[in-house]
Amino acid sequence: MATPTLRSSSVPSLPPPSPKSPPEYPDLYGKRREAARVHMLEREITFLEEELKSVEGLQPASRCCEEIADYVMANSDPLLPSTKKNRRSCRFWKWLCGMPCFNLSWICCCCCCCEGLSLQLKLPRCCCDCKPCSCSCSCLPSINCSLPKWRCCCSCPKSQCCKESCGLGNCCTFPSSCNFGCPTCPSCPSCCSCKCTCTCSCPSCPKVSSCCCCTKSCWRPCCLCC
Amino acid sequence: MSVTELKERHLAATETVNNLRERLKQRRRSLLDTDIAGYAASQGRTPVTFGPTDLVCCRTLQGHTGKVYSLDWTSEKNRIVSASQDGRLIVWNALTSQKTHAIKLPCAWVMTCAFSPTGQSVACGGLDSVCSIFNLNSPTDRDGNLAVSRMLSGHKGYVSSCQYVPDEDTHLITGSGDQTCVLWDITTGLRTSVFGGEFQSGHTADVLSISINGSNSRMFVSGSCDATARLWDTRVASRAVRTFHGHEGDVNSVKFFPDGNRFGTGSDDGTCRLFDIRTGHQLQVYHQQHGDNEAAHVTSIAFSISGRLLIAGYTNGACYVWDTLLAKVVLDLGSLQNTHEGRISCLGLSADGSALCTGSWDTNLKIWAFGGYRRVM
Repeated sequence: MATPTLRSSSVPSLPPPSPKSPPEYPDLYGKRREAARVHMLEREITFLEEELKSVEGLQPASRCCEEIADYVMANSDPLLPSTKKNRRSCRFWKWLCGMPCFNLSWICCCCCCCEGLSLQLKLPRCCCDCKPCSCSCSCLPSINCSLPKWRCCCSCPKSQCCKESCGLGNCCTFPSSCNFGCPTCPSCPSCCSCKCTCTCSCPSCPKVSSCCCCTKSCWRPCCLCC
Repeated sequence: MSVTELKERHLAATETVNNLRERLKQRRRSLLDTDIAGYAASQGRTPVTFGPTDLVCCRTLQGHTGKVYSLDWTSEKNRIVSASQDGRLIVWNALTSQKTHAIKLPCAWVMTCAFSPTGQSVACGGLDSVCSIFNLNSPTDRDGNLAVSRMLSGHKGYVSSCQYVPDEDTHLITGSGDQTCVLWDITTGLRTSVFGGEFQSGHTADVLSISINGSNSRMFVSGSCDATARLWDTRVASRAVRTFHGHEGDVNSVKFFPDGNRFGTGSDDGTCRLFDIRTGHQLQVYHQQHGDNEAAHVTSIAFSISGRLLIAGYTNGACYVWDTLLAKVVLDLGSLQNTHEGRISCLGLSADGSALCTGSWDTNLKIWAFGGYRRVM
């Protein structure tokens, strides 16, 4: 409070600042701008009136919903868990298998090796030409699959694609004494009492006991990690 | 006519427009006798169910050093181009995860990218307001960089989105922060048509996304910060064929439904919606209630090839897979193992629909595909 008094006593008083706006220029284009805006709105009115007329004859939304439902149900979808086709959709498997094996990462191993294992991925028939196990990439138990749930995939499957191309040393870890119980029904899913006398182990699979070969009954022949 | 008179006419016209809009809204509401979910439920449809390992991440594409903002698949399905905050476009072989091109951009502020239909060129755009075209077959310079083969200049704002016209490597449509969309002739580098603009019936705020109808490439749809989506006919640039209202926030993403008669939108209001282009009906709202009050924004959407699934990325890191018929979330890719560690900013499906690619702020892209046991019905 004292400061203004001091200042007023020592400094000659100045008139308070009074900023001035620059002089107003005439808005030479204002009229045209306004006219353009009005013109736009009038055009909009015409469009809206047309649309209002066209709405009169429109079908109700239920018709559109019916069309969509019909379209969706009529088309197969490779991302969906179920398919209406009698033949299994193989695009994903082809996508993964139709390429040189060395370019495939763990999923090559998994898609081909998990058949019959706990994950129960079934390799479609179309994939059996891929022979991914003919390379040295896959199926060794020391390989960890990226997905924890798939860690126990790395044992030798009985899938057809491996039968021809894989030697035991390449993708299997079973001792030669391993005796798969159902030699006569290699693909019979009803072979539920299949027993295996081997004592192979699955060190990379924490969920499996030291004897992983059919210590329990399994629905798939020669299931390894059940 | 004096300015005062013009202002009076302006006021009157505004009132008429508002009245007409309200009447239109009411008329439309009377035609909305159901939505898709209601219809599907009445037909006894049940939602799609996914097991935990049905849709799995089978590739992670690592190479960007900044947030991934945009991606696009080639039509021959196994290549992807991505655009990142690191100022590079990377072309990937999605099967092998290998990079075939890493293109350093003259302007690092890229927002969008697209593959040409033949896969020989890529386009990108961003804050430089230019859409740049790169011919992937061109020789690289001494530093290994690919030169810009064509610059499409003319936008007065950032280029937020671009897409080649299907089956035409010579035409491309861009959406821009200048509120317009432009159809370009790449051969000449000139604008063929401008959609919207100051004195045209177009968007009244930034255009964020466009999608060209795969069934009829003359039609495309745009989404904008004015909370609307607009349908355009490339032969009639002067006005939008139809304007779609309903969203209460920026429309960040638009995508045509596979049948070409509908399109989906994703918005800052946290919802995805499905609109019918012939009738203008809003057929469905896809909205998931979250625990907190603030709804996560939808950043990007895509439909599966049959249209049964709508995949939507959200700002909170979620990536919902919606059953389009039942309007239910059937899977959240953001909650799966091996998922992204950041926001999913862009996503797209391969041409045959068998793989989904997501791009994220965690600098990675991921490819998802069906890996489960397929039930035959």
